[in-house]
Parts: sequence; C-alpha cells; structure tokens
Amino acid sequence: MASNRTISQTVRPVVGFAVRLTMALSIVVFLLMMLLGLIMRMVQGSLLDIPPDLFYQIMTAHGTGMVGTAGLAGAAIMWHFLNRYVRPSVSVYWLFLAFFLTGVVLILAGIFAGGFAGAWTFLYPLPARSGAVWSVHAAFSFIAGLLLVGVGFLLFYLDAARAIVGRYRNLSNALGWPTLFGSEQADTPPPAIVASSAVLIINTIALVVGAVILAITAVNLYVPSLTINPLLAKNFIYFFGHVFINATIYMAVIAVYEIIPVYTGRPWKSSRLLIAGWSATLVMALAVYPHHLFQDAVMPGWMLVTGQILSFASGIPVIVITTYALLSYLHRSEIRWDLTSALLTLGVFGWAGGVIPAIIDGMIVVNKVMHNTLWVPGHFHFYLLLGMVAMALGFATWLAQGEKPGTAMTLSHKLALGGFLLGGLGVVLTFLYSGKESVPRRWAVHVPEWTAPDQLGSVFAAVVVAATIVIAIQYMSRCARSS
Amino acid sequence: MQEFLWLLTLSLVALLAVIFVAVIRQAAMPAAAAVPARSGRYRQPLFWGLIIVGVAVTYGTLVPWPYSPDPRTTDTPLRVNAISEQWSWSVDHTELPLNKPIVFFVTSRDVNHGFGLYDSDRRLLTQVQAMPGYVNKVHYTFTKPGQYRVLCLEYCGLIHHDMIAELTVKP
Ligand code: HEM
Ligand SMILES: [Cu+2]
Ligand SMILES: [Cu+2]
Repeated sequence: MASNRTISQTVRPVVGFAVRLTMALSIVVFLLMMLLGLIMRMVQGSLLDIPPDLFYQIMTAHGTGMVGTAGLAGAAIMWHFLNRYVRPSVSVYWLFLAFFLTGVVLILAGIFAGGFAGAWTFLYPLPARSGAVWSVHAAFSFIAGLLLVGVGFLLFYLDAARAIVGRYRNLSNALGWPTLFGSEQADTPPPAIVASSAVLIINTIALVVGAVILAITAVNLYVPSLTINPLLAKNFIYFFGHVFINATIYMAVIAVYEIIPVYTGRPWKSSRLLIAGWSATLVMALAVYPHHLFQDAVMPGWMLVTGQILSFASGIPVIVITTYALLSYLHRSEIRWDLTSALLTLGVFGWAGGVIPAIIDGMIVVNKVMHNTLWVPGHFHFYLLLGMVAMALGFATWLAQGEKPGTAMTLSHKLALGGFLLGGLGVVLTFLYSGKESVPRRWAVHVPEWTAPDQLGSVFAAVVVAATIVIAIQYMSRCARSS
Repeated sequence: MQEFLWLLTLSLVALLAVIFVAVIRQAAMPAAAAVPARSGRYRQPLFWGLIIVGVAVTYGTLVPWPYSPDPRTTDTPLRVNAISEQWSWSVDHTELPLNKPIVFFVTSRDVNHGFGLYDSDRRLLTQVQAMPGYVNKVHYTFTKPGQYRVLCLEYCGLIHHDMIAELTVKP
C-alpha cells in the first residue's frame, strides 16, 4: 500500500514558523481568558466585587475569546498536519490570521470600549435591544468583528478543501468512502485527512449559516424594521455555535492521531470503523443542534426527538472510536511518557469525560431541570478545558520538543500536568455541583447559599492558571531558543 | 432527580478514569503477543451495550412525551400567563392552587428570557423559554404549599440576575 505517504520532505519552513506563531498567540490568549474566567468565578463567589455590566462584558469576552481561540488553535493543528500530506496555501493562511486579528480588534472594541455584553451567542434580538446599556455601534463592532473572523475561517477551510482535492481528487475519496464501501483505495487517506475533510465540510456550512444570521443582526441594528423571526434566528445561532465549537475538538484530535503513533510505534490506521465514525459525525454534527432548543416548546416535536437521540448517538462514533483506539494503541506499547503524550492522552480523557454530563443533559426530561444552570458550563468546560485545550497544549509542547518525543518528565512537567488535571477537574466538578444545586448560569450575582462551590472553583481555577503558565513559559522559551 | 444525575455522572466519569488509569499503568510494559487482537475483544460488547442502553433510555425518557400535561389527572388545567420584559415578570395569578394542574403560557415583550420555576429550597422544578412572538407552554402541578419563585434562565442583559417573580401556593 502506497497510502499515507507524506510529502514532509517538502514541508516549507514558513509553515513551521506560522504554526509556532499561531500556537504562541493561542496560548497567550487562552491564559488571558482563563484569568477572566477566574475573575468571574471569584465575583460569583463574592471574593471580588465588580459591577454587573463589567461582569457581563467579561463573560462576553471570555466566551467569544475562548471559542475563537479554540478555533484558531484547532486550525493551526489541522493545517500543520495537512501540510504533511497536501499543499495548502501559505498566503491564504496569513490572510486567515489577518482577518482573525482584525476581527478580534473590533470585538474587543465593541465589548470594552462600547460596553457590548450580549454574550458570544449574540441571541437575536438582544444585540439591538440592550435596554440602553450599549449602543448599536458597540453591537455592530462586535458583530462585524465576528463576521471578519468567520470570513477568515471560511477562507481557511476553502483552501484546505482545494488542497485536499488536489491530491485526493474529491472529498468522498478524502473521507475514505471507497475504503468504507469495500473497493480497494490506492491512496487511502490517513485519519488526519479524513477528519480534516469532515471538519471542513461541516464548518463551512456552519460558517455560512453563521454569516447569514450575523449579517441580518447587523442590518437590524440600524434598520429596526428589517427583522427576522426570533425562533429561526435562534435555530441559526445554535446550529452555527454547536458545529463551530465541536469542530475545534475535531481539529485538535488530529494531533492525537498524528503524534501518539510516534510514541507507541503503532500507526493510527484509517480503519473502516474510523472512516465510518467520521462520516457518521459529518451527518450527526449537523443535525444534533436542536438539543439547545428543548425549552422552546413550540419547536416541532420531531426535531426535539432527533436532538435527544442524536445527542446520545453522536457520542458513539468519533468519541468512543477514538478513545477505544487510543487505549488499545497505548496498551503495552512501551510508551515513554513525556509532557506531550501525557497531555494528548489527558485531552482524550477530557473529551470523553465531558460528553458524559453533556449526554445526560441532552435528554429532554433532564434538560427541564439542568438547562441554563451551571451544569452546562460544567460539561462544556470538561471537554473544552480538559479536552480541547489539553490537546492544544500537548501539540504545543510537541512543537517545542522539535516534533519528537521529549525527555522524561521533569518535576516541573509533573507539577504542571498534575495541576492542570486536578485544577481542571476541580473547575469542572464545582460547576457541575452548582448545576445540580440549580444555580443559574450567566448570573453576575450569586446569593450566599450558592457561593461555596464558586469559591472552591476559584481556587481550582487559580491552579489551572498556574499550571498553564508553567507550560506556556516552557513553550515560549523553547521556541525562542530554536528559532 | 438532580442528586441522582450528579451521582450518575460522578460514577461514569470515575469509571472512565479507572479504565484510563488501568491502561496507562500497563502502557509502559512490553507488548504481550498479538495485543491488537486481544484489545478488540471488548469492541462488540461495547457497541451493542451502547445501542441497547441508548434504545432503552430513549424509550424510557420520551414515553410519555415530556411536554404533555400531568398524566395523573384529567382536570382542565388552570391557565397562568407569564409575560417577561427587560427586566421583570408579570404573572397574572401569583396565588396558585395546590394539587391542581397548571399550565403557564410564557412569552416575552422584547428579547429572549427563561421562565425558571424554583421552590423555596432554590431547587429548579421546571422551565421553558420566554420568546418574543411565541407562547411556550409548560405544565406543572404544585404538591406542596409555600413560596415559589420565577428566576430568569436566559441571558437577557444587564439585570438578568435580578429578574425574579414571587408566587405563593395556598393549601
Ligand atoms: C481556568 C479556566 C476557566 C475558568 C475559571 C472559566 C470560568 C468561566 C466562568 C465563571 C464562566 C461563566 C459561567 C456562568 O455562566 O455563570 C465561563 C463561561 C464560559 N467559558 Fe470558561 N473558564 C475557563 C476556561 C475555559 C476554556 C478553556 C474555554 C474554551 C476553550 C471556556 C469557554 C467558555 C465559554 C464558551 C463560556 C460561556 C460564556 C457565556 O455563557 O456566554 N472557558 N467560564
Ligand atoms: Cu450543542
Ligand atoms: Cu434573563
């Protein structure tokens, strides 16, 4: 089989530079946003006192900043490994970064200069109707910033598609469908290509839908007579939001597929199961979003049922398959643990673990008493903080190690890893505990009966921040030394 | 209900952690012969196990349909209108009867809000979205007299955390 042949001998040095730069940027922003998270948790725990308008601005910045940065880091991971097999355009990548950063400037201006605090979900018609708290210009700046970021991602995915089709002729080959349906595929795509293809398809669709609702929201700010049905808007927003945030993990897991085999000596194969899993994900990720609308009783019943069933079913394909495969590849592999392999393994644990409370909340009867409580940040911080971010940090340490296994773990590695794991679990479990106690999410002010887990969560959050600082410093200093 | 879900979540996460730890503890050992073949042995049972659990849970949680009125009684429910607006609720009946099915008709005059019904122990009993242009219905039958509250459960701007209404259930 001539499959999976890489073209790494021709990978351009500028690719390495662009990816290291993106990861440096991502880590810095992750850290800053974690600090904002820590501040919010302390405010909820009455350990810190800030006015509610500032709290909600911070909440908007944290949500938008984290989701955007997860997308950015995921894109860097996907692009890095795409370059092993195909030739995406470096210019388009710079253009993507330029759009992204310009968007960030507008978003920050909208929030902190203009006072916009409509949350990263900008739920229509809140941006236009803030009760005179922020101006339409502030909302416009934020919405326009998101649009620019979205355009950047769209360019990124379209170029990835062009590059993949350049080698595999079409996306069905790149998704591995010939292999899946039993014919001999001369050039079987590696998991990185299968996953990239699935992600670029779903996220292109999501970004187009997101751009439509953003554009309508933007026009509505200045032309209030131009409206959209709020329930339709809600469907668009959660469709976009669900796919985009999940895609960040789908991109990050490519690092697991590509790096873990170097440690175990067992290639991560595009088995039929893996290919089928990604194809199933392609469909389910697009159809599962009604689980965000269980409390909209006017929604068609069949959509809500689909949302519940797919919430459970969509956990099976990639998550179970990836976790299962990882564990069997690790089993008696004589692996030498270093920070990279440990963080990547932690990332898969966080992803699979976070899906447990998510699926539970994906049942209508449960959702009735858990929706929009802190249970929700509990489950998504599980797979984003302990999942997505752990994978991204694992990828970053891999770059810092010169893309080869590192030395055995030093004491500072162990402390950083242990701190990230324990602190992260603490952040997540205190959120889930508060959710079980019915504490609403997105409340700037908590009554005294609610503050104990907030305070404990703040302590854990500080541990996560400290651990991330250690990892960040090592990344920055190693990268600086090597370049 | 919430206590059970919390314990269920903790147990399943702990189970997952135990599996990870067990594998990680063996990971550094040299391979026994034919590892991949051995590791495949859980695949089929895992797959079918998940399918069976999925079907059973889906059936058990969707039948009876979670949005329908209280099946224990056929009384015509009392209609209560709850209208939200930045940043207050207006509820047309704030003294509510005990053991009589109630259906809340919930809507909004401006942005999205969330109608979250809480008991005096701050436990969330049920909820529904309050949307401009739509009326969402939610059924509930109070079985204990006392003070209840409506808290806003959809982020609606600056005073979201102070959008509270009081309800009393009389014996
Ligand atoms: C030290 C780590 C972190 C801490 C302490 C933290 C804390 C918080 C807090 C307190 C909230 C608001 C909870 C509420 O609804 O009342 C929040 C929301 C959120 N966080 Fe984090 N977070 C952390 C890391 C992350 C990471 C790594 C991500 C994603 C990659 C993330 C994404 C989000 C999102 C999307 C929201 C929702 C914002 C909204 O409701 O509009 N967070 N976080
Ligand atoms: Cu979702
Ligand atoms: Cu509200």
